[in-house]
Amino acid sequence: MDKLTRRGFLGLAGAAGVATGLAACAGTGSTATGTASGAAAGGGSSKVIWWSNHPGNSKEAEQKIIAAFQLANPGITVDLQDGGKNYEELAQKFNGALAGNAAQLPDVIVASDVTWFNFALNKQLAAVDDLMAAAGLKTDDYVDALYSDYLFNGKHYALPFARSTPLFYYNAEMWKNAGLEDRGPKTWQEFKEWAPKLQATIGSDKIPIILADGTNYLDWYFQNMAWNFGGAFSKEWTPTASDPKTIEAGKFLQELVAMKVVKFSKTPEADFQAGIAACMLQSTGALGGTTKNSKFAFKTAFLPGDGNCPTGGAGVAIPAGISEDRKKSAIKFVEFLTNTANTVLFTQATGYMPVRKSALDDAGEKAFLDKNPNSKVAVEQLAKTRSQDNARVLVQGGGARIGKSLDQVAAGQDVASVFAALDKETQGVIDAQIKPKL
Amino acid sequence: MLLLPNLALLTTFVYRPLIDNIRLSFTDWNISSPTANVIGTANYVEWFGREDTRQILTNTLVFTFVTVMVSMAIGLGLALLLDQKLRGRNMVRSLVFAPFVVSGAAIGVAFQFVFDPSFGLIRDVMARFGAQSPDFYQQPGWALFMVTVTYIWKNLGYTFVIYLAALQGRRIDLDEAAEIDGATPWTHFRKVLLPQLRPTTFFLSITVLLNSVQVFDIIYAMTRGGPLGTGTTTLVFQVYQETFINYRAGYGATVATIMFLILLTITFIQVRVMDKGTKT
Amino acid sequence: MSTHAQVGPSDRHRSPLMTTAGYAAMAFVVLIIAVPLLWIVVTSFKERQDIYVRPAQWIPNPATTDNYSTVVTTIPFPAYFRNSLIITAALSTAKIVLGVLSAYALSLLRFPGRSIVFLIVISALMVPNQITVISNYALVSQLGWRNTYQGIVIPLAGVAFGTFLMRNQFLSLPTEIIEAARLDGAGPMKLLWRVVMPMSWPTLVAFSLITVVNEWNEYLWPFLMSDNEATAPLQVGLTILQNNEGGTNWGPVMAGTVLTVLPILILFLMLQRQMIKGLTAGAVKG
Repeated sequence: MDKLTRRGFLGLAGAAGVATGLAACAGTGSTATGTASGAAAGGGSSKVIWWSNHPGNSKEAEQKIIAAFQLANPGITVDLQDGGKNYEELAQKFNGALAGNAAQLPDVIVASDVTWFNFALNKQLAAVDDLMAAAGLKTDDYVDALYSDYLFNGKHYALPFARSTPLFYYNAEMWKNAGLEDRGPKTWQEFKEWAPKLQATIGSDKIPIILADGTNYLDWYFQNMAWNFGGAFSKEWTPTASDPKTIEAGKFLQELVAMKVVKFSKTPEADFQAGIAACMLQSTGALGGTTKNSKFAFKTAFLPGDGNCPTGGAGVAIPAGISEDRKKSAIKFVEFLTNTANTVLFTQATGYMPVRKSALDDAGEKAFLDKNPNSKVAVEQLAKTRSQDNARVLVQGGGARIGKSLDQVAAGQDVASVFAALDKETQGVIDAQIKPKL
Repeated sequence: MLLLPNLALLTTFVYRPLIDNIRLSFTDWNISSPTANVIGTANYVEWFGREDTRQILTNTLVFTFVTVMVSMAIGLGLALLLDQKLRGRNMVRSLVFAPFVVSGAAIGVAFQFVFDPSFGLIRDVMARFGAQSPDFYQQPGWALFMVTVTYIWKNLGYTFVIYLAALQGRRIDLDEAAEIDGATPWTHFRKVLLPQLRPTTFFLSITVLLNSVQVFDIIYAMTRGGPLGTGTTTLVFQVYQETFINYRAGYGATVATIMFLILLTITFIQVRVMDKGTKT
Repeated sequence: MSTHAQVGPSDRHRSPLMTTAGYAAMAFVVLIIAVPLLWIVVTSFKERQDIYVRPAQWIPNPATTDNYSTVVTTIPFPAYFRNSLIITAALSTAKIVLGVLSAYALSLLRFPGRSIVFLIVISALMVPNQITVISNYALVSQLGWRNTYQGIVIPLAGVAFGTFLMRNQFLSLPTEIIEAARLDGAGPMKLLWRVVMPMSWPTLVAFSLITVVNEWNEYLWPFLMSDNEATAPLQVGLTILQNNEGGTNWGPVMAGTVLTVLPILILFLMLQRQMIKGLTAGAVKG
């Protein structure tokens, strides 16, 4: 009685006309006599509809892969559709589709590290393990850290596709002028020692390090700092921001702010590329753009700390609501999309990470990495990655929530109380939105 | 009946969703979920008790009040100015209208080159005087100032065009009578023009207010509601954030319903106070 | 009304002081309003690495038109442009017709419950589209109207703003003229077409302009309703140029913006003359 279904609360008349009084009295007729199934534009077993936001301006690469797939699978066509300008928009559109007619659901969607879980939790994504097994395809070649990001209750709900990690970018000349070794800092403590040296040589109108602010994924990069101090935002489903070690990391960030060696920006890559910042943390996805935009030689390095690099980026998922036939074609396509040859193609076109172990043995990829040492660093760092904290990627709204707290920390508020408040909010969301559905 | 098609469309595509929305505001609907539980007034209780509610309301109020006042005043001033016969006035009219046409994303970037503490025009100018530019993106007060200024800039074209049209339709005989009486420009403006523009001012005060309250694209492109989480979050932005980012469509619906009620009240008062002058 | 004659308000004598003040104000306006616009145009002619530099580069050096060719080659620009034209034309026509008719009914015709209906219409302005989209998505999807023009147009066609604006305008018309026309035996439609409309021309032009701009820039709903260039308008198509991880190349985005804004500005230049012509025409008839 107090449980509503979506058809009910969205006032969908359908043929039954049980909608709200107003919808009924609108009586435009056309709304009630909807021809739901007939006019469906959705895919069939011979047609795969793929909603993508083309991460890394990859539409061209995506089309190439589709062409190859259609050649190899003459019975199936793939329709690449524009899913929005970013992951959030794509999720918004998919949520719209979930409210609509199931026949019109897409067959494959791009889902980011923070958007896939809410769909999986609400049973809107198909588990890929079963589909892969049924199609006789294997999952053991996917880079373990990347594949296991999609694990929930023993099943995986996406395949890694446009995967990225943060990367340490530095201005080689500024490094040299400051008399620093030609490498990234091994720990954040080391960076703290370097920062004044950098500041002394670059001048007061430039900044040693530029970071994204709390509305632009500082929460993603900061995980690395938190982990370095032995902290985290959560352990499984327990928030741990108020753990003394996480607080220490927050205080460290504040120290850098107090030393005036860090600035936060909406577009850190712009400051770095303009030669205004000596280094930055930025996604590997920005590698191509930074190379094209910078007028100076820059280098890349592992993030400070060992094995403390968070994974990120997006995977491809299959909606649970489509027919089994459609799922069969869809899984065939997403496997092809992420196979060794195509992950190499996609990686080189965009700067995202190869998602297959075997891609690293690929001769073409090896040659490419030798020619592009900055990409090589990024790929080698893959072995040092670690899956992100649930509080950021799985708890709904986690990124924005943590970002807000980090903004507060950067603005000088008391770290312990900010993080305590954060934990309380995170716990509230876990209790209300996740626990009941686990 | 002339009204019927329009009413049917509004009922189906605005009021039907609105009713859905009001019903949803009493549920805990996660937007991706096929089902929702009725939870009574819990969302409303949460809204009234939440820490960020106060700041979001204040942001909305300040933003709306300033944009309504300033964009109407400047719009009227520009309309009066460009109603005169001046050389190049057609080009300038288009220029005033142009920002209204540009999409939010492009404006977000263009204004980064005004406000950005690394690249912005303001920084350049201030540096010349040895001063440091405030960090418009990281300090909540300045961030709100920034989106307000940008929004006014973008929407001047709207108030301008409406006032200009009203001035074109005014009664010239009154102007001439005033001139014969030897009225100063100021008394002419106050005694002759302003009363004639009263219906227009009434209309603008309502529509500009309703548009401002629903600002989304500028905030999305410039600050995404930040800094410090809610530095520039207004009610509508909160609706978006809760519904599509936090997936709490039930709570988002609650905020939207509260907003609708607030607007309904304000508009009702405006109509009562100001519409008298326009009734025939 | 006879005093309208041929002389517009702007043709009367102005003191030199006012004229000078006028030019000074104009120069100031140009400066304030133009700078960000200029930046959009300048950026559209820049090479990628010249966009974010310090000090800012006000003249593209070297200037390039590559961004424009990028826009035209990387996205099916003509198709999006066509869709924008179709959607904007259909929506604007629908809104102008519905708006004028509704306003006419609400201002000059008498029927019970008129002010309630008026309040219902303008209350629609208080419902943000963020809350209508999911519900409407469900409905339109049931109808099988996704990826069709009607799926984009019909849900947006209800008009509250224009009804309000035109009602205001109609109410401000001198009652003597309307009554005189009624006494002459003009039916409601004839009254509207022959008497009311000619006197309301400037406001109608303003209404049309604002409607065209709003529909041209409509984003969220067309984005949800269309999956590719078969029906998606320019605003949706242009977002393909943005990158979502690690920085967008803004050159092509700005070029796309310039290309999107230009047609509307040309329309404005044309219509704003109509605003003034309309006045004299109306005055003669009046």
